[in-house]
Amino acid sequence: MTPFIDINQLSKTYQKGKTSVTPLEKLSLSVPKGEFLALMGPSGSGKTTLLNLVAGIDTPTTGQLIIDGQDIAGLSRAALAKWRSRHVGYIFQLYHLVPILSAFENVELPLLLSKMSRRERKAKVESALELVGLAERSGHRPSELSGGQEQRVAIARAIVHNPGLLVADEPTGDLDRESADNILRLLRELSREHEKTIVMVTHDPKAAAAADRCLHLEKGQLVDEPEPATFVA
Amino acid sequence: MKFISLALKNIVRHKLRSLLTILGVAAGMFLYSAVETMQHSLDRATRTAAAENVLVVYRENRFCPTTSRLPEHYESTIRRIPGVKEVIPIQITVNNCGASLDVIAFRGVPPEALKSYNPQLEVIAGSYDDFTSRSDAALVGEHFASRRGLKPGDTFEAVGVKVQVVGIIRSDSPQDNNVAYVHLPFLQQASRIGLGIVTQFNVKVETPDDLEPVAAAIDETFRSDQQPTNTRPEQAFFAETARQMIELISFTRWLGLGAVLAVLGLLANAILLVVRGRVKETAIFQTLGFNRWHICLLVVIEGLVLGLAGGILGVVAADIFFRWKSFTLGNEGLTLALETSPQVLVNGIGVALLMGALASIYPAWKATSKPLIQSLNA
Repeated sequence: MTPFIDINQLSKTYQKGKTSVTPLEKLSLSVPKGEFLALMGPSGSGKTTLLNLVAGIDTPTTGQLIIDGQDIAGLSRAALAKWRSRHVGYIFQLYHLVPILSAFENVELPLLLSKMSRRERKAKVESALELVGLAERSGHRPSELSGGQEQRVAIARAIVHNPGLLVADEPTGDLDRESADNILRLLRELSREHEKTIVMVTHDPKAAAAADRCLHLEKGQLVDEPEPATFVA
Repeated sequence: MKFISLALKNIVRHKLRSLLTILGVAAGMFLYSAVETMQHSLDRATRTAAAENVLVVYRENRFCPTTSRLPEHYESTIRRIPGVKEVIPIQITVNNCGASLDVIAFRGVPPEALKSYNPQLEVIAGSYDDFTSRSDAALVGEHFASRRGLKPGDTFEAVGVKVQVVGIIRSDSPQDNNVAYVHLPFLQQASRIGLGIVTQFNVKVETPDDLEPVAAAIDETFRSDQQPTNTRPEQAFFAETARQMIELISFTRWLGLGAVLAVLGLLANAILLVVRGRVKETAIFQTLGFNRWHICLLVVIEGLVLGLAGGILGVVAADIFFRWKSFTLGNEGLTLALETSPQVLVNGIGVALLMGALASIYPAWKATSKPLIQSLNA
């Protein structure tokens, strides 16, 4: 079976002043469709770089990066933007909702790039907010929501256009335990019931335990695949 | 439409910042519209006021109505010159011969001759019959009446001349809308110029081709007379009389240009600050799939809306201001009502929109020039 994410000999090098930095070097990895994958590792190990490459917001220096059958490594900036708008949902550690927009308007943002009618957009946004359990808070601005609720709105924004891939950068890093568990439960549900492929970067072993598989990175290389701890939902 | 709505939300939900920017643009566009109004009013006065078949006979080497004194009996001599169609003697009395913002000008004409000489005059209040039947009657130009708050039945006094308003007139010629027409003998006596003396003769010729030969013939006729004349086509007369005003108003072009540049700088600065304050937000939009064109469009729409709102506010304020103050600029008896016109208002809004677009181009480009990863980590 063809993997949903197929990474071959992927490297990323960039200049930091006069120094050349290589956070990822010849990394290869396969992720099947619907898998919930956790990436762990110390700071500077390359996990966020890998996440950004998979999400199409950064481009590799060399190697192959095939997602759902399409090699995105050589796409132009504009083509990558279009690809992201259709295939990726990004969840940030600090939610990054637009403060002047309501929860509904934040979730609606990715749909503004489609040709959907207002009515269709409304139905999709309501359905996404319903899925994350925030239908009744749709008119609230981010400042009127708790951290956990903000992250759920961010997840609704990430899934509203029905992408096959969700990438999450420390999605529970700024939340208390209870809220974090709720978010992890939601991500598992999205992976198992809605067949979303999820790649999550985390420092939290408990968050990693919620994933189907956990990979460890060090100095831009995969070093082992420890068995995840049991996540008690 | 979706993007306009998103840009509008950004403007509406940052009320104070948007309001201050709009007020700044409005102040600049107010100044620009004021300058344009002066330019446009002068252009209208010197172009449309002057007929193509009219000569103005003035005292030689005199430039002000108070010093141009011609014998009224010249009228019959001028009438006999071949090519002359009609002649009207006019006595002009003004409160201020120099440049002024509140000029009051009386034109004394033979009452029975006014309508036949000037058929486009429309009496919009009162009656023309009352004008012919009463010696101290005055037909007041629409703009003059509005400036002074005059209506038929009122009396007013200026330059030592007290008249009774019997009608308000409207004309295609801006000059007529800024003066008070009175009886020639009445004005000659009231202004102490004396009977038999007039300021100028307006002479209609048969065809525009007659302008030059008739002017030469008139000046030649009176060359050796007690009061030699200087006869010019009305257009040239206006152009010369308005020269000082033209010079004054030409200078204001720089003010207009300055106002436009100030608006451009203010808008560009405001939008650049907005864009800089939104680096991360822009990066989030890009992460969601918005491309460079989408981001630029959002920034430019914001600039256009701010420019449009400020432009509308500025030109409307200028229109209200000129209507309220009813300024009349005058020089050497030529009056110029400073009135906004639809063209000035449309131009003002157009310029504001253009400034909004120009001011947002650089910030829009700047907003998306950084690599996405760098913006996300900002």
